[in-house]
Amino acid sequence: MNPDAKPILVVGGGIAGMTAAVEAAEVGYSVVLVEKEAFLGGRVIRSYKYFPKMCPPSCGFEINTRRIRNNPRITVHTLATVEEITGTVGDFRARISKIPRYVTGNHSLDDTITEQLGSERPDEFNMNVGTTKALYYPHDTAWPPLHVVDREALSDADMLTLTETAPPGAIDMGMSAEEFAIDVGAIIIATGWRPFDAANLENLAFGQCPNIITNLMMERLAAPGGPTGGMILRPSDSEAPRNIAFVQCAGSRDENHLPYCSGVCCMASLKQARYIREQDEEAKITIFYIDVRTIGRLESFYHDLLEDENITFVKGKVAGISEDAGNNLILDVEDTIAGEKPAAQFDMVVLATGIVPNTADVPIPLDLEYDEFGFLDGGTGVEGVYSAGCARHPCDVSTTTKEATAVALKAIQDLNR
Amino acid sequence: MATGETTAPGNTETEEQAQLAQTAGSRSIVVDPDLEFIRALSRSGGESLKKCFQCGTCSASCPLSPDQNPFPRKEMAWASWGLKDRLMTDPDVWLCHHCNDCSTNCPRSGQPGDVLAAVRQQSVHHYAFPRFFARWVSKPAFLPVLLAIPAVLLGLAIRFREPIGNALGFTQPAGEEIIFSFMPSLPHWLINSFFGFFVSLAIIMAVIGLVRFTRGLNGSSVWGEDPQPVKGVFSSIGSVLLKIVVHDRFTSCETDHSRSISHFFVLFGFLALSLVGFWVITGPSNPLIRSDFVYPFSFWSPWKLLANIGGLAVLTGCLLMIWERLYFGHLAGTSRYFDWSLVWSLFLVVVTGFAAELLHYLRMVPHRHVIYFIHLVFVFALLIYLPYSKLSHLLYRTTAMVLAERFGRKAGEGS
Repeated sequence: MNPDAKPILVVGGGIAGMTAAVEAAEVGYSVVLVEKEAFLGGRVIRSYKYFPKMCPPSCGFEINTRRIRNNPRITVHTLATVEEITGTVGDFRARISKIPRYVTGNHSLDDTITEQLGSERPDEFNMNVGTTKALYYPHDTAWPPLHVVDREALSDADMLTLTETAPPGAIDMGMSAEEFAIDVGAIIIATGWRPFDAANLENLAFGQCPNIITNLMMERLAAPGGPTGGMILRPSDSEAPRNIAFVQCAGSRDENHLPYCSGVCCMASLKQARYIREQDEEAKITIFYIDVRTIGRLESFYHDLLEDENITFVKGKVAGISEDAGNNLILDVEDTIAGEKPAAQFDMVVLATGIVPNTADVPIPLDLEYDEFGFLDGGTGVEGVYSAGCARHPCDVSTTTKEATAVALKAIQDLNR
Repeated sequence: MATGETTAPGNTETEEQAQLAQTAGSRSIVVDPDLEFIRALSRSGGESLKKCFQCGTCSASCPLSPDQNPFPRKEMAWASWGLKDRLMTDPDVWLCHHCNDCSTNCPRSGQPGDVLAAVRQQSVHHYAFPRFFARWVSKPAFLPVLLAIPAVLLGLAIRFREPIGNALGFTQPAGEEIIFSFMPSLPHWLINSFFGFFVSLAIIMAVIGLVRFTRGLNGSSVWGEDPQPVKGVFSSIGSVLLKIVVHDRFTSCETDHSRSISHFFVLFGFLALSLVGFWVITGPSNPLIRSDFVYPFSFWSPWKLLANIGGLAVLTGCLLMIWERLYFGHLAGTSRYFDWSLVWSLFLVVVTGFAAELLHYLRMVPHRHVIYFIHLVFVFALLIYLPYSKLSHLLYRTTAMVLAERFGRKAGEGS
């Protein structure tokens, strides 16, 4: 082990970045973990359940945060982004900028403080279903366990209220943005993904009909910490939907949108179908698909659902959705096996949208080799820089953690050359 | 070999194949791919057909597609499998009006709209009589021959007008009162006899094609098992003609509404010109107009007015079509020689017609004779080659629509 080794920079604090950080740190290397959100966990901490085990991601997440918390070799920067990277393998310099949290963490804050505020912001954690106050606690299991002030959403009046009513020293509205440089030996890109924006799917009427939601919104509706406290209710009237359609490949495998298959949306919908059925034994579910892509051992999960009389699989891609006066949804689709267009009406429709790499929107400030969709698939084109998880290609959590561990080793090898 | 979900095999099967199908189970069909047919489709605009992954977006987004056995997803499978017989007997390829809602929404650029257009072209080949003529009409290499045929025939008619006139009992000027002859070497009786003869020949060829076509369509599997007519033949024809008049098939699409306008102009212009042509040719022996029938019509004669308005309508429609196809190809679909040859021949017929008319009023000789001769060559190409060109859709599509009307095959409720 090289005693002069510089730290490893991990960009992104989701499941990929957290895994890479703890794996490298636990064998004795220093890690700087940079996360743009106010908390760690990324997309995974927004999920209700993992497939195929159907367990909540929060328990594994708690283990990971404990490993990070107890390891002095990991430095975590939240609300931070990498602005510039220079240098070469073994000797990179990264410029990091941090936006202020305005919450010092010296005193705890409780709901009585947040509730008196008028300013609100979209609840981004809950896929914008509902809002939070401009001073908010990100989510139940947030790490670091701190409130955040959304400065842009906070009105001047609320700022005054905060300075007057919060415990002295708890909130510092004078906090300013920080910028600093760090020297690192290797870099792991774990910037993850965002869901494909369903508003682009004009024919599928997302945003025009209230009862059309995306698969990630479904995760939040089902999650106990979500906007409905874990009750799956349809948005238009807060009734429990009895007849739900899943529209697979919503924008995926489609040259007009995302030409590739994200590989996880089929399993995600099957998982959701299963927990809906567990919550409501009367609920009927229809899954419209082109192909059900459940690879390897996951296929048995699919076969189990085929046994469920209340779950129907229809081979056919949904081409259009419209709604009736009661906000029920009518699908334009051909059942390609029966050779007919079924007259089908649903209470709620879930669009299974795919994975877009965050690097497609904001590239890493370094000349890396992306594929045509913005993924860092395979090599990054720069020695000492690696990608893992959905920054690399669309994949599930189990693949992500394996990749993160593998690239931690690659980074360690670079530090020892 | 592949298995499908349909029970009735649409191919003409050999006995051996039928046995194979039976042993394979009742839900199996033996696919005997006609590879040459797949290649022919690809050559005539359907080269994207293999991109299809059978998701059904096309059928779901098609505003004209029925709820049972919708199109064009099944046609894409048949095309991919080379099931020529099924496609040749399929009324649905003719119910398609190529609005391209399917191609616009296709996630794979499979262009079902273009594939169906290619199937229609193959269908024209398949049913045309004689078949080789349809091949000539669809290949640019044969264009000189196709134009030479009317030129030579007209030239011969002019050269031998005296013996022909004697044989037919015409002496100049016969059966008509000529105030000002348009082209003395090509008198009206000669044009009328010439076109009368060849149009009749073309009609006979068209009828042979149509009879074959109707037989084929009646045997299609898309009607379902034991189809029963829901309407009489005449009432079906009436409904279809009304649909054609109001262009309601065209206007139900989302992708390209402008096609209905250009087609409207061309269709009604063409009908007006055909009506005037018919009237003029039959004029000398038509009791309805004989009393004051004088060649040529004056400019303000209602017939001349109708012809000029019709010509302008065709010209406008053609220009719109050319503009759409050149600049909005992604909406109008890919245009092949088969498509262009119809648009351009219509365009050239009216352009040379107006040019001849203008030169006539300007008394420019021999220019007007030359242009008039060229005009007649294009008219010949347009009318006599109708059973083999894209213009045959006038017959085939109308027939398919009448059958669909008769057997209650209509666009889905939800669409």
